[in-house]
Amino acid sequence: MNNNTQTGHLTVKNEFKLSKFLVKWEMILVYLLVLLNVVLIATRSNLYFTPGTVSSIIQSGMDLSFMVLGMIFILMLGDIDVSIASIMVLSGMVIGLLMDAGVNMMVAVLCGILAGGLCGLINGILVAKIKMPAVIVTIATSLLFRGIVKIVLDVNVLKNFPGWFVTLAWTNVFGIPLSLICFTIVAVLFGIILHRSKFGRQLYMIGNSQVVSKYSGIRVDFIKICVFVIMGLMSGVAAIFFIGRMGGGLSSTMAKGYEMDVIAICVLGGISTNGGKGKLYGPYIATLIMAFLIYTMGMLEVDANTRKIFTGIILIVAVLIPYVNRGLLADIKLKLLYADSKNIEAVNLRCQSEVSTLKAKIRKCRKDTLLSNEEKSAKIKGYEVKIESAKKKCEQASKSLKEEIQAERLKTKKKLAK
Amino acid sequence: MTNNIKAQNKNLLEKITGYKQFGLVIGLIILLVFAYFLTPSMFTGGAIISMLKNNSVYAILAVGMMFVLLTGGIDLSVASTLGMTGVITSMSMSSNPQVPAFVWVVVSLVIGSICGLINGFLIGKLKMIPLIATLGTMYIYRGFAYLISGGNWLFPHKFTAGYIAYAQGDILGIPNITWIAILIFIAAAIFLSVTKPGRRIYAIGTNADSSHVAGIKVGNIKILAYTLSGMLAGLAGMLYTANYAICYYGMADGFELMAIAICILGGVSIIGGRGTVDGVVIGVIMMSIIAFFIGLLPGLSVWQDAIQGAIIIIAVAINIFTGRLSIKNALKERSSLI
Amino acid sequence: MNDNMLELKDIVKTFGGVTALNGVQFQLKKGEIHALMGENGAGKSTFIKVITGVHQPDSGIMLLEGEKVVFHSTLDSQKLGIAAIYQHVTSFPDLTVTENIFMGQELTTKLGIYRWKEMRRKAKDLISVLSEDIDVTKPMISLSVAQQQLVEIAKALSRDARILIMDEPTASLTRHECEELYRIVEKLRDDGVSIILITHKFEDMYRLASRVTVFRDANYIGTWNVDGISNAKLIQAMVGRELNQMYPQKTAKIGDVVLEVDGISKEGYFKDVTFDVRKGEILALTGLVGSSRTEVCQTLFGIMQPDSGKIKLNGKEIFLSSPLDALNHGIGLLPEDRQLQGLIYELPIFQNVTAPVLNNYTKYSLLDEKKEMNKAIQLCEKIELKAKDIADVPSALSGGNQQKVVFAKLLNCDLKVLILDEPTKGIDIGAKSSIYEIINELAASGYAIIMVSSEMPEVLGIADRIVVMKSGRVTGRFHAKDTNQEEILAATLMKREEMINEEVHA
Repeated sequence: MNNNTQTGHLTVKNEFKLSKFLVKWEMILVYLLVLLNVVLIATRSNLYFTPGTVSSIIQSGMDLSFMVLGMIFILMLGDIDVSIASIMVLSGMVIGLLMDAGVNMMVAVLCGILAGGLCGLINGILVAKIKMPAVIVTIATSLLFRGIVKIVLDVNVLKNFPGWFVTLAWTNVFGIPLSLICFTIVAVLFGIILHRSKFGRQLYMIGNSQVVSKYSGIRVDFIKICVFVIMGLMSGVAAIFFIGRMGGGLSSTMAKGYEMDVIAICVLGGISTNGGKGKLYGPYIATLIMAFLIYTMGMLEVDANTRKIFTGIILIVAVLIPYVNRGLLADIKLKLLYADSKNIEAVNLRCQSEVSTLKAKIRKCRKDTLLSNEEKSAKIKGYEVKIESAKKKCEQASKSLKEEIQAERLKTKKKLAK
Repeated sequence: MTNNIKAQNKNLLEKITGYKQFGLVIGLIILLVFAYFLTPSMFTGGAIISMLKNNSVYAILAVGMMFVLLTGGIDLSVASTLGMTGVITSMSMSSNPQVPAFVWVVVSLVIGSICGLINGFLIGKLKMIPLIATLGTMYIYRGFAYLISGGNWLFPHKFTAGYIAYAQGDILGIPNITWIAILIFIAAAIFLSVTKPGRRIYAIGTNADSSHVAGIKVGNIKILAYTLSGMLAGLAGMLYTANYAICYYGMADGFELMAIAICILGGVSIIGGRGTVDGVVIGVIMMSIIAFFIGLLPGLSVWQDAIQGAIIIIAVAINIFTGRLSIKNALKERSSLI
Repeated sequence: MNDNMLELKDIVKTFGGVTALNGVQFQLKKGEIHALMGENGAGKSTFIKVITGVHQPDSGIMLLEGEKVVFHSTLDSQKLGIAAIYQHVTSFPDLTVTENIFMGQELTTKLGIYRWKEMRRKAKDLISVLSEDIDVTKPMISLSVAQQQLVEIAKALSRDARILIMDEPTASLTRHECEELYRIVEKLRDDGVSIILITHKFEDMYRLASRVTVFRDANYIGTWNVDGISNAKLIQAMVGRELNQMYPQKTAKIGDVVLEVDGISKEGYFKDVTFDVRKGEILALTGLVGSSRTEVCQTLFGIMQPDSGKIKLNGKEIFLSSPLDALNHGIGLLPEDRQLQGLIYELPIFQNVTAPVLNNYTKYSLLDEKKEMNKAIQLCEKIELKAKDIADVPSALSGGNQQKVVFAKLLNCDLKVLILDEPTKGIDIGAKSSIYEIINELAASGYAIIMVSSEMPEVLGIADRIVVMKSGRVTGRFHAKDTNQEEILAATLMKREEMINEEVHA
């Protein structure tokens, strides 16, 4: 798949390198998902192939899937929102109370979702306009929102939800869970927004550099508020599926800790907590992975509470891997992709790694207590000379490469001129 | 003359108004006045004792949280550390009632320190964001609390007298647990004001780059702060179980937010570098008064969470606005040069 | 045989193709005060960073008391007795003076407890030599800037600094404080400390230094005895170079006034700034670092709002509340720091170019990447951007080309006024001339251009008119063809008591 838009000497190469694609983070997630399924088939094949098991597994993970989509935007900006579980419960409460009061079903649902949006608006204003740190704000609002539910409901349980909530959460259409279809549709929508729309582009920009975005005329504050409102609305939507999954009941103490699962899924899906990095399909797959993981753990008789340990570990490990990887990746890149390549970047990379190994040797040498000072300085001098020559070689190599490229350009120009 | 502030002989009034936490003290006095008129029952001996008992655990957690906040970080795992440690010490105690209770105190300190050390390592050495790191460990420790306890609860009859005495016993009428909290406050105050690592915590919270250039190992100081936070959370775990003579894996849920709220109320800055022990003391007292209000007035207990959330928001907003004011003042000073 | 405390020979330092130091020399004798002078960009600050160990030179050697040394970090140089004091002191504002002096090397008992009494006593001893008024128990933030500087000096002394580097020490001081500082610096010299004094003020040099070295354009120009050189000769050394054919012929027709800045002030930054720019005109805004030119630019771009004064566009008063506002009015900014403010290095070049006007590439809210890329290619070719792939990230480009991307970004918008803040900073000679071409063409096509620059020949070569600022005020207005470098330099150094406003009639 080679797309070459050629205009003068500036080209746009959209090469699709299969090798690069297959080692992408998101593809690794796919492998993980497949692996989990394989494990399941191998160990409990009778259960696995029983109709309805796989779909139940998926269905159990679909309620927070909508919140995952909203959280992707929030993390993309470099912020965070830990109040989502409380917003979800509050939205559910609004729906339930309105239904109890006899309000039309669709209106009640709409109001619930809007209530979620309102909560998101509060978060957004506190973070974007008053510039309070998102961490503390959303911790406080999670208390506030759940507190409101506690005040209104006290110890009561709302039960007056329409039957289709449960249906939505637990039925299949042609064997595929309805909730999965809903999730996929909304995920595609979010994906289009994130990767193809102006709004999504602005999210990436703000996440990478708020300052440059501001200098480029982007309305950073407005977008931040929008993102928090979207998160709130999504939490409202999630409420529907959550209530359905819970069998049509809602109390003030439910869904505690959901925010952690959502964040863990996003991080696992490759979204960076610093902002500006990640693709939508990562968390999509991660949601499924999480659903299967929970089921697998349930099978291994791991309690919901013990499961927390794994979620925590996944969160930490998923965040650390990109850091640990950089050095490793560079080495692998060097060995696999650039072994013989006529590439200035490769030359530089090779030179850099030579220099850093030599520098590490120098450091080690300094710390060595067994050598005398003269030996040390002699050794160090030797290394330094090597570093010099390596750098010189690199310079010459890249210079000659540059000249080659120039020569080729001239040739093509001449050809075109004819 | 030059525009410098000369060191004058301050009279008493200036000394009082110049006191760092003066504003907080005024706030406290106002609160106390309100309390006197609205709920005079708060000032009875019984009520005070119960307030002391209930809030000492928060106080201990808040001290640990303060160390972490001063470095510019946050520790969301303290409640889980408390839970896990409490489970370990109570369960061990009940299966080995002959072991002197003091051992369990030491054990709680050790386990808490290990929990804190893990946080410190992730944040100080691996340079993880404190939020995410402690979010993860919060989950992990809580999970272990469940695992170790097997989901079982421990009821009062399983607790040895020696164990309980650490919290519930009293000297001169004040519960032991409060004495311990007071000792911790004093120790923390000394640590932060005269020891090298204590002062360096302020340094790295104020200006990590300058600290690094001055030769301070920023990562190590952070490890220290989180280890202390964990250690105190561990101690709080043992004391919590001793105080209520109960133990279950989900105990102290949400206590980390209380600790943060107390610190913020006590004038500790979220971005680091600012805050004192006396401020936190005032914060604890304020929080306990507010909690008492809520607990006492009929039907208000369900409001507790919501009010707590609102308080944090207001306190942080005030924190931020006073920060902006000081920047404005600094700019005004620069103007004189133009 | 050698009474040189510090000696640097043939120091070369380049940053990605830009030469910051081109084989410079320097000798600091024991116990002397040696002034280092030169314009902004001459290489002084890079030089200091090499001495203190922030940067390692590409080639050349450094000798400390005759022995070769190589520093890999600031800690290395500190251990060997080199201390630097910079203009902007931050350190630890909430901690006391004592702690600021001793941080990192505090005096403690075996248990780690501060020996407060002893530290305070020592701090007091160190400080009382410098000033009577400073109370070592007070927090740093309660001291004046001058006093904070003295604390920095005390800190250096506490580490037994034998070489002290002072960077523009008198920049923010009053007359009286200057005198105090002179006294202290002389005393330090008498006590055996060798001092490198970086300054723009001739009186600092005449008063304190015994020798002066001049750098210009990354080159070593010469060293003279302060007694044996005149002001004029020194200025010529700092500034004199041939105005070569770098600067293109001006062909723009200058039209009516487009932007009028009328007496704007911002507390803490600038006061009563007034000037105007015409269509097709290039107005240079020059002065030393710290004269608040960037803040004026930011105010004109809506990042800050002035406390008082007016901004008029085509005669109509406008209020700029944000950069978006400014762009909508047709005012664009090329920021000073392209890495922090100009480009997003994680995104491809074409996305940087289309960032301010994404609406142009959207159809039903979805972005047309092909359209973006084509437009980006078009703009980049117009300014002769040398890049292999428009979908690459900006870090693949050289400094000059990165700057061109920011230009392309601005050209993508519909603008009337361009504010360029140090457009050729950190760019090598070759790329500079191509940027001058671009600026010239932009003026010719009708833009009104304000260019902030600290380089004299650039200012004289490119601009039609020049406005000079010092410490937040306008200190001079000139027509480029009617003035010379010495006159402008004099205006950049003007003392506060001598500030005059010249009215330049169009």
